[in-house]
Amino acid sequence: MSEQIAFAVLAFTLVGSALAVVLSKNLFHAVLWLALALTGTAGVFLLLDAEFLAAVQLLLYAGGIITIVVFAIVVTERLIGERLTQTNMRIGGGALLSAVLFGFILMVLARHPLPATRPEMPGDLTRAVGEAVLTRYVLPFELLAVLMLTGLLGAIYFARPED
Amino acid sequence: MGLQPYLLLSATVFCIGLFGVMTRRNTIGILLGIELMMNAVNINLVAFARYTAVASGMVFTVFTICITVTEAALGLAIVILLFRVRRTVMADHLDLLKG
Amino acid sequence: MMANSGTLALAAWLLPALSFLVLAVVYPLRRLGRPAAWFSIVCAAGAFASAVLAWRGVGGSEDQVRLLWPWLPSAGKSIADVGVAVDATSSIMLCLVSLVALLVQFYSVGYLHDEPAGALGRYYAYQSLFAFSMMGLALAPNLLQLFMCWELVGLCSYLLIGYWYQRESAARAAVKAFWITKAGDVGLLVGIVMLWQLTGTFDLAELRSLAGTNAIPAAGLSIVTFCIYLGAMGKSAQFPFHVWLPDAMEGPTPVSALIHAATMVTAGVYLLVRTAWLFALTPDVLLVVAWIGAFTALLAAVLACVQDDIKRVLAYSTVSQLGYMMTAIGAGVATAGFLHLLTHGLFKALLFLGAGSVIHAVGSNDLPNMGGLARRMPQTATVFIVGTLSLAGIPFFGGYLSKEEILGAVWGAHLTGPFVLLMLVAGLTAFYMFRVVFLAFFGTPSPVARVTHAHAAHAPAGHAHDVGRVLSDPPADATSARAAHAALHNEAVVEGAHVNETPRAHEPPVTMLLPLWVLALMTMTVGVMSTLKLGGFAAEPVEEGAPGWLTPAAVGVALAGILLAWATYQARAINPATLAGAFGPIRAAALRKFWIDDVFEGIYGVVLLGFSRIVGWVDRYLVDGVLNVLSDWTLQAGDELRGIQTGKPQDYVYGVGAGVLVLILLMRLVF
Repeated sequence: MSEQIAFAVLAFTLVGSALAVVLSKNLFHAVLWLALALTGTAGVFLLLDAEFLAAVQLLLYAGGIITIVVFAIVVTERLIGERLTQTNMRIGGGALLSAVLFGFILMVLARHPLPATRPEMPGDLTRAVGEAVLTRYVLPFELLAVLMLTGLLGAIYFARPED
Repeated sequence: MGLQPYLLLSATVFCIGLFGVMTRRNTIGILLGIELMMNAVNINLVAFARYTAVASGMVFTVFTICITVTEAALGLAIVILLFRVRRTVMADHLDLLKG
Repeated sequence: MMANSGTLALAAWLLPALSFLVLAVVYPLRRLGRPAAWFSIVCAAGAFASAVLAWRGVGGSEDQVRLLWPWLPSAGKSIADVGVAVDATSSIMLCLVSLVALLVQFYSVGYLHDEPAGALGRYYAYQSLFAFSMMGLALAPNLLQLFMCWELVGLCSYLLIGYWYQRESAARAAVKAFWITKAGDVGLLVGIVMLWQLTGTFDLAELRSLAGTNAIPAAGLSIVTFCIYLGAMGKSAQFPFHVWLPDAMEGPTPVSALIHAATMVTAGVYLLVRTAWLFALTPDVLLVVAWIGAFTALLAAVLACVQDDIKRVLAYSTVSQLGYMMTAIGAGVATAGFLHLLTHGLFKALLFLGAGSVIHAVGSNDLPNMGGLARRMPQTATVFIVGTLSLAGIPFFGGYLSKEEILGAVWGAHLTGPFVLLMLVAGLTAFYMFRVVFLAFFGTPSPVARVTHAHAAHAPAGHAHDVGRVLSDPPADATSARAAHAALHNEAVVEGAHVNETPRAHEPPVTMLLPLWVLALMTMTVGVMSTLKLGGFAAEPVEEGAPGWLTPAAVGVALAGILLAWATYQARAINPATLAGAFGPIRAAALRKFWIDDVFEGIYGVVLLGFSRIVGWVDRYLVDGVLNVLSDWTLQAGDELRGIQTGKPQDYVYGVGAGVLVLILLMRLVF
């Protein structure tokens, strides 16, 4: 029962802030709404017993991403529109496309039986994730590290001062 | 509660993110839409992992979060560079590939 | 022996072919000039010897020796053969062709001795080809070979008329000849094909037997024979296709003697003689033939009276005599026409070669430039007068019997109109020919300056002979205009000549005189034998049936013509200008060639060019237009579709998304 109320609140928050992100005329406001959306996602993770992921989400997304996006906005031009058509284009077509896609997903979901109850948790999920990362998925883990290093170098190169 | 509501939620956020990608004029706005889509995918992954008791779903989520972060950083670096070169971040004006 | 005749005729036919092939392929020989000429003459001599032997070997007039090789195989048997069909008619024709070809080639050595060696080689190659084609036509066993040789003969005529192709008038005359004869040839081809459709065969012997047994369906046969006659009209210069013959005088005079007097133009007459049994089945076409023949004869005779160019007079005279031959055929007596063909071949070639010797000596074709040549060129004058008397139909000369035969045949067929026309023409013929004789050979020499062939250095080689024909052709460029002006004032016609020099005309060399004497002797022989009814002329059925007054009337008309010419041009009893004035409007029309050439030009300009303009318009605007519209649409579509490539990645995402959705919908709803 409480789960459903929590889910409803979180869903409302999430969807609302997502809409605000894409429909906001002020970019800066959109970023802030995104922060709220990311936080909502973290809440959803908590609902799904993924505490570690909730923490990671808050740290990286809500913290890191928002920070750099804000910095990017500061460095580049700002667009603050008075009408939605100044910040958005092809609104009708885009809405239609998204709606149709959503409808299709609905259709697929309706056809297939999905588990209605949660299975029992075998122990600590965080522990399980940690162990899996360092044993079974160690190779992707290491490669990920290399990837992030590459990304770091790339970003530094891109954003170097002009000379 | 069942898996379905989570999947519906994820689908909703995904479609909203897609809408943002397609319609936003500002490049950073497009990146925000991409973030939303990534998030929706993550919710999907975690929900499936929880409801089928397969932990590797969450491992996957960790990985995607890391990659998304990298990609966002690089994307923004490109936006900044673009702004330096073309003095604009409006997606309408970035049409050098026009045929 | 019969078989021998076939092989001899074949040999006679193929020797000129050999000469042509050698001269055409072996360029070093051709380039040498004179050796090529002598090689061709030797082959021609061999051909003539073979032809005579073949003629002696042939039996009665109905026997035929055939040597055939299958050519177009079809379902086992052959549609058409090639080979020789030797009977009395074809063997005599073979003799005539080979004789005149030999004499002309021999004569050309002297006449064209100024020519550059390479051009001379080319000339003899063409002469050999012509001899081969004409003999092939004469010996043709079926209509297909006849048609092929017919076309080849036309080609050779084009090549030889245009021998001096650097001269624009010659080139145009050659093309004109080719076109006009080609118009007739279309008719001939149509006729041959239609005949094949009616009977299933091209072979002349088979067709003859079919005609004899009335096996040829009568429906449409008139059209067939008329179409065949069209071909003969083109080649034999019947009205209105006669316009090419006078212009064909642009070629060298020996060519005119060979082609436009004795052989090619007679091909049409020969064709009708060979198919006389076919035409006998369609008497209405024969009537047309007779009337057109008589009309042509009159028209040409009138035109000949006003010409000042000696070769043109002879050309119109040829047209006129061809009309005589055609009228005889139209009267149903093809043998009379054929006899006249033979005698005419001899004396017309003689006249042309004689004219050639005059032109060679005087340096000009124009009668006003000649005069009193009999004193300086007695031999030429003698043979020329022999030829003229033959043409006029005086007894004891070559053309006498054949002309009487024709008149008798026409009278016997009760064709009164053509008969009257032919009698009138007999008088006119005598008149205009003796006008030429008196103006050229008698009287006072013209004080116009001369260029003899020894002074040919002043004029381009080869042009010294036929230069200055300015009074017959309208002046076309500055040179001719200046020459016309000069001629009117009796000044120098050719550059480099001296004014008021006494004429230095002289007899031509032996190579030119010998053929003249040969032809003159042969004409005299024929004339004497035919008048006295000796030898082969013993039995002439037509002559028996003719009314008694015919011969005296005809001879009288001819003598009247001679008398009138003598009175006007020699004794100067009648002023030529008064005589001309008496026939004022006719003379004026004749000088414009009765506007026939203008009609042809008009038809060409309006019909042919108009039609081609229409076709051009259709091609440009309809055919090309459709394609252009399609290509424009493609380009437009491309331009429009290019708008999809906006360059903005967002639009591409949009496109991808839309595409994916369409696919999904398709999958779910359709499949």
